[in-house]
Amino acid sequence: MNNKKIDRRDLLKAAAGSFIAWHSPAALSLTDIPANNLKPKLVWVILRGAMDSLHAILPLSDSGLMEHRKRLVTPVKDRAFDLGGGFALHPAFKELNRLYKKKQLIPVVATESGANSRSHFQAQDMLESGLPEVDTESGWLNRAVEVYRGASVAVAHTVPIGLRGKHLAKTWYPDLLRPASDDLFQRLKVLYKDDELLSERLDEGLENRQLLSGMEQVENKYKYNFSSLAASCAVMLADKDGPDCAMLEMTGWDTHQNQLGRLDRKFSQLDEGIAIIRENLAEQWDNTVVVVTTEFGRTVAENGTRGTDHGTASAMFITGGAVAGGKIEGRWPGLSMANLYQGRDLMPTSDTRQWIRAILSQHWKLNAAQLDYVFPTIKTMNSQLIRPVSKSTAAI
Amino acid sequence: MAAVKNNRAIIAVNRFGLGATGAEFSAAKHDPEQWLLQQLVSPVFDKTLGDTESAFNMIADIKVLKQQSRQKNMKLPDIGRTLIRPYRQRLIMDSLEQSVQTNIPFAVRLLDFFSNHFSVSVSTQTMTLLAPILEREAIAPNLFGSFADLLIAVEQHPAMLVYLNNEKSVGPNSKAGKRARGLNENLAREILELHTLGVDGGYSLDDIRQLAMAISGWSITDEGDTGHGGFKFRDNYHQPGARIILGKSYGDNGEAQGRAVLHDLARHRKTAEFISYKLVQHLIADQPPKQLVSAMVDTWVKTEGDIKAVVTTMIKHSQSWDSQSNKFKTPREFVVSAYRAVNHPEAVDQGLLNILMRGLNFMGHKPFASGSPAGYSQLNIAWSGSDALMKRIDWVSLLSQKTSETPKNVAARIFDSQLSPLTVKLLAGAESRAQGLAMLLLSPEFQRR
Repeated sequence: MNNKKIDRRDLLKAAAGSFIAWHSPAALSLTDIPANNLKPKLVWVILRGAMDSLHAILPLSDSGLMEHRKRLVTPVKDRAFDLGGGFALHPAFKELNRLYKKKQLIPVVATESGANSRSHFQAQDMLESGLPEVDTESGWLNRAVEVYRGASVAVAHTVPIGLRGKHLAKTWYPDLLRPASDDLFQRLKVLYKDDELLSERLDEGLENRQLLSGMEQVENKYKYNFSSLAASCAVMLADKDGPDCAMLEMTGWDTHQNQLGRLDRKFSQLDEGIAIIRENLAEQWDNTVVVVTTEFGRTVAENGTRGTDHGTASAMFITGGAVAGGKIEGRWPGLSMANLYQGRDLMPTSDTRQWIRAILSQHWKLNAAQLDYVFPTIKTMNSQLIRPVSKSTAAI
Repeated sequence: MAAVKNNRAIIAVNRFGLGATGAEFSAAKHDPEQWLLQQLVSPVFDKTLGDTESAFNMIADIKVLKQQSRQKNMKLPDIGRTLIRPYRQRLIMDSLEQSVQTNIPFAVRLLDFFSNHFSVSVSTQTMTLLAPILEREAIAPNLFGSFADLLIAVEQHPAMLVYLNNEKSVGPNSKAGKRARGLNENLAREILELHTLGVDGGYSLDDIRQLAMAISGWSITDEGDTGHGGFKFRDNYHQPGARIILGKSYGDNGEAQGRAVLHDLARHRKTAEFISYKLVQHLIADQPPKQLVSAMVDTWVKTEGDIKAVVTTMIKHSQSWDSQSNKFKTPREFVVSAYRAVNHPEAVDQGLLNILMRGLNFMGHKPFASGSPAGYSQLNIAWSGSDALMKRIDWVSLLSQKTSETPKNVAARIFDSQLSPLTVKLLAGAESRAQGLAMLLLSPEFQRR
C-alpha cells in the first residue's frame, strides 16, 4: 500500500473547525504543554461484532483447539507467528508480530467485558460504559479524560457511548457519502429474500457497483477504510494542539459464516491500521498506548457454516511504544470440555476493564479515587503494563 | 379485533402520515380515521423567512447591483452564492423542518402532493427566489378550502406566472398588443393539461388559445407599484372580447374573466376525476381502486370541489385501508420518515436536517428542481431502480451512524413492533445498534407504506 503517510496539512485543513477551541477551559492551556509535547497518548480501538480471539491468538499447545475447530485452525497454524508459551499470532498480524518482538505488544487472553449476555448491543454498551449498570450517556473514556483534564476525539460520525459524558468529546469523520459496508449489503440480501422487487434491485445495484469500481470510487472508498481512518486519527493525535486520546471503531467481526477468508482480511486491516498509527505518530509513538478490545468472544467449536457463533471470553491487545510488552497476559483457562463456560465458550479469567484500569493508572497516573470514578466496581489488574520511566518523562 | 385496529393505526401513520414520531402512534391508535381527519388544517409558514415581497426586493437590489457594476466597470460579486442560494436554501430547509416536526403529517403530505401537482422549478435567478414561495403563500392557505380558490391563488401567484411565462403574455388586440409582443399559451396549456382537466380532459387547441386570451394581462407588479411584490392585472395586456371555452361563453370583464373560467374548470367532472385519481395514486396505489376514486369524484362534483370533503370521503372509504402496502416511498417521504423515526420531534437537529437535504439531492428528489411543470413522478417505478436503492442504502448507513436511537424503540413506535418474522430475526442479529437501525430503515416494511 502506498500513501501510508498522509498529508498533515490537508487533514488539518479539513478538520480545522474541530481544532479551534480544542481544549475545554478546565483543560491544560497551551503554555502547560511541554515544548516537545511528548504527552502520554491513548488510542482505544473497539472491534464491534465480537472478534474470534481463538483465531487471532491461537493456543496451539492446547489439544482442545484442533478437537473443536480443526478446519479453522489447519489452514493457518503452520504460518502463525510463535509467541512462546504455547501461543501463536494469526499470520496476517505481521506488524503485531514485529511489535511483540520489540516488546511493545501484550496480547491478553480470556478476557470478558462484564456483560452476562451474548447480545452485541448489551455487551458493547457494558464495555463502553464501564459502569455496573449501563448508562448509555456515560462512557469510561469520557470519565477518564474528564479527570485527566485532557482532550479527546472519536473518529466517528457521532460520539460513541465510550466517549459520551460530561467531557466534551470531538468527533471527526471524512465528509463524503461513503458506500455502505459490504456486511450491510450481505445482510440486506437476506432481508430482501421474500421481496422480489427489492432483492432484484439490490442484485443489480451491487453488480453495477462492481463494474463501476473506477479510480474515483476506489479513492473514495479508501478514505473510509480502517487504515485511512487510523492514519487520520494518528495525525490528529500527533499535532501539537491535538487530543490526548482517541476512539476508533472497526465493524464486521460477527463471523457466523465462512470466517477464514473474512478474518484474513479483517486481521490484515487491523494490523495495517496499527502500523499506520505507529508511522503517523512518529516520535509520539513512544508515549502511546493502543488498546484493542471487543465485546465478547466466539464459540470454541466451529459451527455448521464454517464460522463461529456468539461466545463469552475473547482477547485484547495492548500495544504502543509506551508498553512494557513482549509477554502474554491473562490466565489461560484451557479448552477441555470441563473447562469451557456452559460447555461451549472460552471461560473468562479477567475483565477487559481491569486491564484498562491498570493502563489509566500507569500511563495517565490517575489516582485511586479517579480510577474509582472511571470504573467504580472494577479492581486494577496488578501487572506492569507500561514501561516505568517513559521517554517522555525522561525528556521533560 | 385488536390486531386489525392496530393495523389501521400503522396504515394511518405510514401511508397517510410521514411515519410516526414521538408519541404519535399512541395518538393514532385510539381512532386512526379521526386522527387523520382532525389534521385537515393548513400548515402555517413563517413569512419573515421569505415571501414574494422580499423576493421582489432582492430582485430589485440585484438589478441595482448589476447596473452599478456596469457603470463603475467593477466586477459583480457572486450574488448567486451570497444572496440567491442562501434565500432558497433557507426556505427549503424550513419546509423540511416543518415536515419532520409537524404534528399534522397528513396535512403536510397533502401539501406536498399539491406542491408537486402545481410544480414550479428553479431555473433563472428570479425563479430560484420565487419557486419555494408558491406552496407557502398560495397552496398551504388554500389546502382545505375549495379547489377553485386554490387554483386561482396558484395561477395568479408570481411564481407560477413567471415560471410559465404569463406575466408577459399580451392579447393581440390589446393596447400593448399593437406593439410586437404577443400571446403566450404556456400557462393556459398547463392549466388545462396538468392542473385541471388532465391531458385526456376533452379540451381542444382552440380552448387553450381562448383560455390564454382570458388570462392575458395576469401579470406581476413593477418596482414602482405600491404594494410591490405580487399579482397585477394589466388591462393594457388583456385581450378584449368574450371567450368561448369548452362551449361556454365568458363575457369580457377584465381580470374576472379568467377567474370565471378557472371557477368552472375547478368543479368540472374531468378535473374531479383527474385529481381524485392522482391523489389516490399518490397516497394509496399506482393502480387506484375504481370505487374509491368514483366516491371521491361524486363528493367533488356535489361539493363543487371542496378539498376537505373529498379527502374525508377518501379516508372514510374502506379501499383506502388495504392492508397491503402498495406504495414505495419517494425519496422525500423516505428521508423525512427516516428522520422522524430516529429523532425526537421536540428538538430539531440541524446536522440531521442537513443530511436529509444531502439525501434529497443525492437521490434525485431535490425540492423545486423537477425541471418540468408536470413535477416529479409519483409512481413506484420512478424511485425503485437499483441505483436509487443503492443510494438509499448508502444514505441510511450514514444516517444510522448519526443517531443513538435503538431499532427496538423505532420498531415499536412506527410499526407497533409488528414486523415480519424475517425482519425481526435479522434485526436481532445485527452486529451493532447502528446496523440494526439501518436494516430497519431499509426493511421492506419501512420502504413501503
